[in-house]
Amino acid sequence: MWRNFELEKSYDVVIIGAGVHGLATAYYLAANHGISKVAVVDKGYVGGGGSGRNTAILRSNYLTPEGVRFYDRSVQLYRTLAADLNFNVMFAPRGHLTLAHNDSSLRTMRWRAEVNKLQGVDSEVITPEEIKRLVPFMDVSDDTRYPIIGALYHPPGGIIRHDAVNWGYARAGDRLGVQIHQNTEVTGIRTEKGRVSGVSTNRGEIGAPIVLNCTAGWASLVSAMAGVKLPIITHPLQAAVTEPVKMFLDAVVVSGSLHVYVSQTDRGELVFGASTDPYASYSMRGSLEFTEELASHVLELMPSIAKMRVLRQWAGLCDITPDFSPIMGITEVEGFLVDVGWGTYGFKAGPAAAEAMAELVATGRTPQLIAAFDLARFAEGRLASERGAAAVGH
Amino acid sequence: MISSRRRPTAMISRLGRQEGELIDRSRRLSFTFNGVEHRGFDGDTIVSALMAEGERIFSRSFKYHRPRSVLSATFHDPGCIVQVGDEPNVRAAHRRLRDGMAVEAQTGWPSLRYDVGAANQLVGRFIGAGFYYKTFIKPQRLWPTYEKVLQRFAAGGRVQASSPHGTYDKRYAHPDVLVAGGGPAGMAAALGAADAGANVILVEEEYELGGHLRFGGSEDLVALRELRDEVGAHAGIEVMTNSVVTGRYDDNWVAVLQRELPQVAERLVKARAKTLVVASGLIERPYVFEGNDLPGVMLSTAARRLVNLYAVKPGQQAVVFAANESGQAAAADLDRVGVEVLKVVDPASGGELVRALGRGQLEQVELGDGSIVDCDLLVTAVGWTAPTLLVNMAGDRPRYDERAARFVPGGALPDTVLATGGIVGDGPLQALVAHGRATGTAAAHRALGRADSIDIPELEPAPHPALFRARTHGIVDYSEDVYSKDLVAAAREGYDSVELLKRYTTATMGPSQGKLETINTVAVLAEATGRSIEETGTTVWRPPYAPISLGALAGRILEPVRYSPMQPWHDSHGAKPIVAGQWIRPEHYGDAAAEVRNVRENVGIIDVSPLGKLDLRGPDVSKLLNFVYVNKWSKLDVGSVRYGVMCGEDGVVIDDGVTGRLAADHYFMSTTSSGAQAVHEWVENWLQTSFPSWQVHVTSMVSAYASINIAGPRSRELLGRLVPDVDLSPESFSYMQVRTGTIAGVPGCHMWRIGFTGELSFEIHVPAGYGLYVWERLMSDGKDLGVGPFGLEAQRVMRLEKGHFIVGQDTDGVTQALSAGLDWLVKLDKEDFAGKPELVWQHERGDGMRLVGLQPSDTHLVPAEASQIVSPSGAIEGRITSSRFSPTIGRSICLGLVSARLAVAGTVVTVKLPDGRHVPATVMEHHAHFDPEGSRLRG
Repeated sequence: MWRNFELEKSYDVVIIGAGVHGLATAYYLAANHGISKVAVVDKGYVGGGGSGRNTAILRSNYLTPEGVRFYDRSVQLYRTLAADLNFNVMFAPRGHLTLAHNDSSLRTMRWRAEVNKLQGVDSEVITPEEIKRLVPFMDVSDDTRYPIIGALYHPPGGIIRHDAVNWGYARAGDRLGVQIHQNTEVTGIRTEKGRVSGVSTNRGEIGAPIVLNCTAGWASLVSAMAGVKLPIITHPLQAAVTEPVKMFLDAVVVSGSLHVYVSQTDRGELVFGASTDPYASYSMRGSLEFTEELASHVLELMPSIAKMRVLRQWAGLCDITPDFSPIMGITEVEGFLVDVGWGTYGFKAGPAAAEAMAELVATGRTPQLIAAFDLARFAEGRLASERGAAAVGH
Repeated sequence: MISSRRRPTAMISRLGRQEGELIDRSRRLSFTFNGVEHRGFDGDTIVSALMAEGERIFSRSFKYHRPRSVLSATFHDPGCIVQVGDEPNVRAAHRRLRDGMAVEAQTGWPSLRYDVGAANQLVGRFIGAGFYYKTFIKPQRLWPTYEKVLQRFAAGGRVQASSPHGTYDKRYAHPDVLVAGGGPAGMAAALGAADAGANVILVEEEYELGGHLRFGGSEDLVALRELRDEVGAHAGIEVMTNSVVTGRYDDNWVAVLQRELPQVAERLVKARAKTLVVASGLIERPYVFEGNDLPGVMLSTAARRLVNLYAVKPGQQAVVFAANESGQAAAADLDRVGVEVLKVVDPASGGELVRALGRGQLEQVELGDGSIVDCDLLVTAVGWTAPTLLVNMAGDRPRYDERAARFVPGGALPDTVLATGGIVGDGPLQALVAHGRATGTAAAHRALGRADSIDIPELEPAPHPALFRARTHGIVDYSEDVYSKDLVAAAREGYDSVELLKRYTTATMGPSQGKLETINTVAVLAEATGRSIEETGTTVWRPPYAPISLGALAGRILEPVRYSPMQPWHDSHGAKPIVAGQWIRPEHYGDAAAEVRNVRENVGIIDVSPLGKLDLRGPDVSKLLNFVYVNKWSKLDVGSVRYGVMCGEDGVVIDDGVTGRLAADHYFMSTTSSGAQAVHEWVENWLQTSFPSWQVHVTSMVSAYASINIAGPRSRELLGRLVPDVDLSPESFSYMQVRTGTIAGVPGCHMWRIGFTGELSFEIHVPAGYGLYVWERLMSDGKDLGVGPFGLEAQRVMRLEKGHFIVGQDTDGVTQALSAGLDWLVKLDKEDFAGKPELVWQHERGDGMRLVGLQPSDTHLVPAEASQIVSPSGAIEGRITSSRFSPTIGRSICLGLVSARLAVAGTVVTVKLPDGRHVPATVMEHHAHFDPEGSRLRG
């Protein structure tokens, strides 16, 4: 799979965080640019953070043309990832439905559909009858509290096996010479005269001219070690999974109004997520209220599955920026780069972000695809808001 | 429906009366299993009834479709999960038999006995851990096809789209002490706590109290009866059986799931327990060896349960692998009821179990001395697992006790959580009871705030041989069909931490969530990596302790609905309802266009009660208004109102509305209906975090006032008939002013001269209790004026005719104030306001979208809202945000956001309709399509 190594004295690049962003960046550095003296360090295990805690939904039906193009690149990379990495990441484009329960959300769905179509992304607004055909368990009658009046249907959206993506990148990177150091916690980032010189870890010092922060949950704390302040507030996001039942739900279903998204895995489990918890916290504990609200909203949509049982609940951490968009690129500390602030949408962006970050590291030039997401925008008043689509759901 | 047949012959395994049996032999029940009729007794579980009639196989395993039978005979038994009617995944070794139950196996096709999928066993090794990740890669396009095939292997039962929601409810409880677990220590703890004056809830997972005492010998049964009688007689203890504590959240917020209550399928009890006593006992763990999942191989406690609780003979000839007293006791029980115990193998004296052999069921056991014993029952007793979820959720991390060969609580519990019984340590019954009583007493003292210190006797885990795996490989996770060999292989591949191994192999991720499997997974990993179990560590137990139905979590669906006080009138006058957030409002009363005409020609009234309304009082209100609005507020006269727009810190428009000054220190703010809650929070957030010294008191008045807009050329005349004490003449009550007075005899009503529709209009806020009355008076007193109601749709048409934008429709999550055409309103020379730095930047750049009025060239074509405005090359240049056919000017009208360079009157843009057509539209000089000068409004 991947090997364990002793820490070396120095690397060309040190990447902090062995989640999908860090691992994929390491892989693209080696695969696309021939830079393989790379260490990925993580305080825990591969994919133990957000990359292993998300609900593994992929889609590119965003609202702004920039957002659509970016996430579409990610979906394209995901589509061929299994072959590229020789590891089955089980991408299943089952179709993705975002439900509209009122006029204004239906208008937003129409908007997204029209923008998507103009970018060549397959999205369309469909009627309750068409929803019922795709999801026979859905209650599309109009005597519910929040009747379903339509949906944005995005056929290329779907689900993937998130752990497999992490492992696939880790494995492929390892084969190209990347070293993955688990249980290696960064305790400090060293700088000299405004440029980065390496990191201190619980296993020793590492020298590196380029250090890349690919963490989530603790992104602002890690950047602070380099003296870089990030405008990030961290919120928990909870999820839950049920016992398996025979397949009955093919599509991914999202309801922004009811704050819930649901899909059924190949194992037969329903995977649920919701919006972030309303308070800032680094705690990764599940709450009872979350499962209660989740269940009542799921049963609003599909009342006949009341007898299914929740098997497990968990939480992850989401780094929210003021404009609900990520921060990618250079910082005021030379050689210290960030790929952070991914809110609730980091997993689906992993490959495209990593590909672009690798290009930035290798060429020193910021690729156009991520230029709008630089850290300086907050100080210069160039916000890159995807709030309309990103905050709605998954 | 499968027709039911009576089984022709059955190998009856029901024993004679057992001292502690739970079955009531006078009450026979009939049920079906896979369509075949069976009988059992009241008190049987589904599985005990089936076993009594000779059935042995209850499911097929997940991957290899191996036949599975009883392993633990508890709720968590992985081989005993069935479908009952429309309920999937019923735990058949726990669920009590009911008359008429239709039980079906969930796996196995065409039948449990002859399962085609069992062919997977032939390719067994190919489907080892990680199999899926390494296959079906190319060609990628075929994965969805493979996926469909693999989905057929999904474990679990069926849900049906026709299933009724069912009845569930919730209850709040406030016990001083909640005891999780009703075994001897738990019962003693409840008694100790109740005797000390606490009110106690005692929760037991099984259908009756007693824990392991229930299937013990005569002495245990005597002790059980005494404890149970004492608990039953104690007024301070509420007992919940067939219930389980599913989680312990912050501040002892304890979730209890009660099952199968009268009239309620399940109930979620949410208890704020002052102290929690965890008495969850011990779970017997399986042994890993070849053939350990064959029907006929079971745990010692399973054999004891079947014999003693249900009088079921689990086999004819048995081998018992006994590393502890439970194994010895099982051997004695089996011997007593006539099972031939061929061999009791004791590892302490060198005995070794190598493998179990058999085709579809146990036939032989191979022992360490090479001997092979023919038998149909193999009982193992190799140790225990402490289910530490609840103490983990209280912050404790389990610690491995090498002497006892099990994880135990680490000892880092908060004062409000105590533990007793098997989870803490082992001992004779008296020791467990003594520890339980003392712990319960201590829990009560802590709950009741007493300082008395209680001497809790020691209870230590007893030494136990460390037995996890024999020299052969076998199943570690029964639910997931994961073998110890799979774990070894995965560890070699690099998945050498327990969290990675778990995710890669799915070991411990099935329905029992590791209760039977975790320790063996850890032990096998430790062995494979040459580390100790302590170094390897364990995985985190995640809630819930036992699965909990969506129905129970949801409870009764109680989504609040808000109606205005005038709703009864709307209902009885043909209003078509529309859902607007929490509110239900009239969309129209039959003909929106006619409603528009009536307002333009006569007078109409609309119910706008959902409008956000904030009462603001204090000397610093104007500072607050100056900060949250983009325009200036220092010089608003008493009796005047002003329009304002609020922006977020990113300069994006978040709300608009008018605010009036009622007195020197008293203002009344209106917000959009949809933004009512958010604006209240926004204002409070600034006051409480950034400006705590400002003296402003904010009160939401949304439900305190019913709000009505009276619009149309005859509105003054209509309102004038009902208002005796305010001069409504244009000279004394002009546009953008506010008065307070009496309407139809109701004093204290606010009247504003403002107008969203573009007509002369008065917005009145009436104490809510009089809303319906005033509405009806307006209707009756204005009959001769042609007054009529109008709904949201007519209002939307008229505001679009007038070019008033709606926040969230004509603006979006990125529309900054200048893009909304608010240059005239935004005062960048103000010292500071929310969003100012961003708006300064936007002003300097002059970029972004601009909101404009648009008219399609085809006067009868109404482009769908969200239609995109595109350049000849197909690039997005904007979009239609609002569009309607205007009955007033007889053509289609729009508002739209377009690139700044297109926002010039007379520019013709191309609109791409959702159906793909491209149509031209012209950018207008004004947002307003009708009366841009506002002469009607100001009249």
